[in-house]
Amino acid sequence: MFRIIFASFLIFSGLFILGVATLGIFRFEAMLNRVHVAAKCDTLGALLVLSGLVVLSGLNVFSLKILLVIAFLWLTNPVATHLTARAEVRTNKNLDEICDFINLDENEGEKI
Amino acid sequence: MREDIKDLLNKFFNWIIGNGPRPENEILPPEPPPDLPFTRRNSGRKSRFHEASINERYNEWVELHGLHIFSSLYTWMSVLTCLVIILLLLITVTELPPFGDEHNPANNEVVLRYIKTGARETGAKNIVAGMILDYRAFDTFGESAVLFTAAVSVLMLLGASRRNRTCEKNIFKFGITSKSFLQRGPPLRVHIYRQDDMILRGIASISIPTILVMGCAIIINGHLTPGGGFSGGAVLSTALILAANAYGFDHVHYFFNERTFIFSSSGSLIIYALAKGYSFFTGANHIPSGIPTGTIGNILSGGLILPLNICVGIVVAGTLYSFYALFSEGDI
Amino acid sequence: MPVIEWLLLIFLIVCAFAVSVAKNLLNSVIIFMSYSLIMAVIWILLQAPDLAITEAAVGAGVTSILFFLALRRVGQLEHKKEDEK
Repeated sequence: MFRIIFASFLIFSGLFILGVATLGIFRFEAMLNRVHVAAKCDTLGALLVLSGLVVLSGLNVFSLKILLVIAFLWLTNPVATHLTARAEVRTNKNLDEICDFINLDENEGEKI
Repeated sequence: MREDIKDLLNKFFNWIIGNGPRPENEILPPEPPPDLPFTRRNSGRKSRFHEASINERYNEWVELHGLHIFSSLYTWMSVLTCLVIILLLLITVTELPPFGDEHNPANNEVVLRYIKTGARETGAKNIVAGMILDYRAFDTFGESAVLFTAAVSVLMLLGASRRNRTCEKNIFKFGITSKSFLQRGPPLRVHIYRQDDMILRGIASISIPTILVMGCAIIINGHLTPGGGFSGGAVLSTALILAANAYGFDHVHYFFNERTFIFSSSGSLIIYALAKGYSFFTGANHIPSGIPTGTIGNILSGGLILPLNICVGIVVAGTLYSFYALFSEGDI
Repeated sequence: MPVIEWLLLIFLIVCAFAVSVAKNLLNSVIIFMSYSLIMAVIWILLQAPDLAITEAAVGAGVTSILFFLALRRVGQLEHKKEDEK
């Protein structure tokens, strides 16, 4: 009983975070803000939902597979977000209308 | 009276044929020169001239009137066509036999035979693999040959940009400062090609081996678990694409270039054809292959299914990766 | 379970409609990607896991990458951005 309550709490909080992510993607205007929302909320929401499934099923091969899925999601999702944001920064010419640039280096095209 | 009618009819027929009364000052067309051997006149030029004038007039007319009529007609005609096709498809759906009915034409003795004796005859636990690689192996051979043909035709089409390869190689070496590139003018986004992302490289070094192991497992276990040559080959090709994105195409060229692609793909197709092509001549099914099926459930079982799965996987992986390389770089 | 299947099927039809309606080619390619992802889930629900693997790898992965590359090669991505400005 306690396990079911705990698992449902995890799953519902994950779903809430995923819903917030969807709302944020539609709410924000700029591309970088959207990427920010989507990345963090998707990663955390997927973690919560999948760990809820692990708690629900107990320790067996199925939960081991889900743990592997969690590991690869946490490896790949931030990288995908990073690449999307990098592509936006590199290709959008009017980016300085939206946000401030801090030029760490003189030749900016090389370092970003 | 009759003669009058005859005369009229004669005149009418002559008019139709073209033998009517001619004007006295008629300008006859110049007689064509005699048809000497080896000096046959090429009549294409004249007709081309006519075609050009007709095209000109047609284009003029289209510019004046046609486009307006066409553009107003076009949307309505496309909507109408879509609606008619949707109606036809819906009518066909109502004519279909009910799903899961006992007397459906698909529910014949072939299915029963596959389900009853498939595992024993082919030695494959995954009955789909047994079907597509043993009962119907010739179809799968055609599919992989089609994939290979598509890759070769894309290679022929997009490989034409190979003359600029030295220029593009310079981009890889020198980045945006390549002078020969800048002189070419059009604003290509060079920095997309630069493979300098440390985060992507770090993650790729972890995930590429995992994806490769996963793809190989899907291919090798094709006759035991769901999956098979096509899915495993697609997974392998995604690993290759990720490697090309993270480390650059030059690093992939170390172990996979055009020679490797052609040799591996055509080699596996030839192996496939030698293993299963005899049914084209005999017209029989592919069951007696001479190789024992082994115990069902082992990896070394199923007769020819395992090597054929590997062949299909190699072809699919090479083809999909070469599609990516050709579309992005213009060269494998 | 039928509720989820119905939702997925409705979303599939919506996606298939949106692919042809979308004005921007990049958007329609992304919608097509989500279409094949939903299709993969439906294959799993129909108990055809090998088709699901193939659909997820080919439909959502390789095909959309090839579409993006073709769009870039034709120059559609660049022109769209210039139009927006």
